[in-house]
Amino acid sequence: MERYDAAILGTGPAGVSAAITLKIRNKNLLLIGNKDLSMKMEKAHEIQNYPGLPAIPGAELAAKMREHLDSMGIEITEDKVSTVYAMGDYFALQGATEMYEASTVILATGVVLAKPYPGEAEYLGKGVSYCATCDAPLYRGKTAAVIGFSPKEEAEADFLAELAEKVYYLPQYTDEVHVSDRVETVREKPLEILGDDKAVALKTSEREIPVDGVFILRESVAPSQLMPGLETEEGHVKVNRRMETNLAGCFACGDIVGLPYQYIKSAGEGNIAAISAAMYLDQKKREAAKKQDA
Amino acid sequence: MVKKINDKQFDEVVNSEVAVVDFSATWCGPCRMLAPVIDEVSEEMSDVNFFNIDVDECQALAIKYGVSSIPAVMVFKKGEKVAQNVGFVPKDAIKQFVEANK
Ligand SMILES: Cc1cc2nc3c(=O)[nH]c(=O)nc-3n(C[C@H](O)[C@H](O)[C@H](O)COP(=O)(O)OP(=O)(O)OC[C@H]3O[C@@H](n4cnc5c(N)ncnc54)[C@H](O)[C@@H]3O)c2cc1C
Repeated sequence: MERYDAAILGTGPAGVSAAITLKIRNKNLLLIGNKDLSMKMEKAHEIQNYPGLPAIPGAELAAKMREHLDSMGIEITEDKVSTVYAMGDYFALQGATEMYEASTVILATGVVLAKPYPGEAEYLGKGVSYCATCDAPLYRGKTAAVIGFSPKEEAEADFLAELAEKVYYLPQYTDEVHVSDRVETVREKPLEILGDDKAVALKTSEREIPVDGVFILRESVAPSQLMPGLETEEGHVKVNRRMETNLAGCFACGDIVGLPYQYIKSAGEGNIAAISAAMYLDQKKREAAKKQDA
Repeated sequence: MVKKINDKQFDEVVNSEVAVVDFSATWCGPCRMLAPVIDEVSEEMSDVNFFNIDVDECQALAIKYGVSSIPAVMVFKKGEKVAQNVGFVPKDAIKQFVEANK
């Protein structure tokens, strides 16, 4: 498998800026995100505080950034990374179907506004799970509830129902639900996960449903979930002035590291993260060369 | 080294002063990522015995120790479960976890 110098997650202004700087530093990079860059740029009606580009519509800023990437031969890999593993010497990134490897990683995935349910963190791994396809085989003959935030999670509920005794599906959207007969759709609002030393029930707006497990399937994952072992503070990734996280070789920039949420601040931090990553790579190279000499 | 054991060999955990047991399965991605990390840690901690248990092969053990999400890494002292960590964890963190509970 190809080992990239740097993998950049996210194609908002932070990720794009990091990619540009790393390219100038001649690093072999992997940029993962969307061809349309970022919904947050597409949606902005008019941006008034991006120097050099007065009163520019968001979609136009995105187009200009796209042009910038193209002109430098930087490609975008369209994928969604579910987990980043710090393996020690390198990072392994789990995409939808593919796995990637890189010596450094730059997190630029923006912010997610999702408040955890009471009991969610407490019972994580003790009945609460974020991945039905991962943990389903542990629910053979048991009862589980699936909280789905988008229709694509219906497939996960169906898969779980093949193994579990009973599956409740709680859609948190208004679209019509299409699940197999084995799944019971419940239009109720989840409030809390109850338990003793493990989860035992899901409390909803209407009642308490006794369950062995609760699967919570959100659109986007929180940083601490995206990368196990990553230090966060009030939902944001903890970094220093050099955009270094607590894990050596991992950097973060943009909205994901904290307020204010602004394009130019994100782009600026992307630049810092890229320079720090380049320095880290050069340092590693020197160390390796020294070892060989000795 | 991490030793793969089954139900019948669980004595080896019970008879260890300190044992670390990694409950995992072949179909679990995070388990596959954690295995080489635990292997490295085991090389650096000679006073602890490291074991791996496949939850599909040893369902009774998995139920007994309340495994509901994997990978689940448990620390046992003389056969008594004293701590558990669920999910992938980077090397330094897993080392600290074992150090703190051994
Ligand atoms: C309507 C609106 C108007 C705004 N107006 C202004 C303004 O006028 N001025 C201003 O300065 N700021 C404004 N903002 C704020 C600005 O949008 C954000 O601060 C900025 O977009 C943050 O950039 P970012 O690169 O950190 O993240 P984002 O732009 O959020 O980009 C994140 C990228 O990461 C990708 N991604 C996420 N998770 C994964 C994953 N797991 N794997 C792969 N890719 C992933 C996403 O698809 C996306 O491409 C506005 C925001 C909105 C919503």
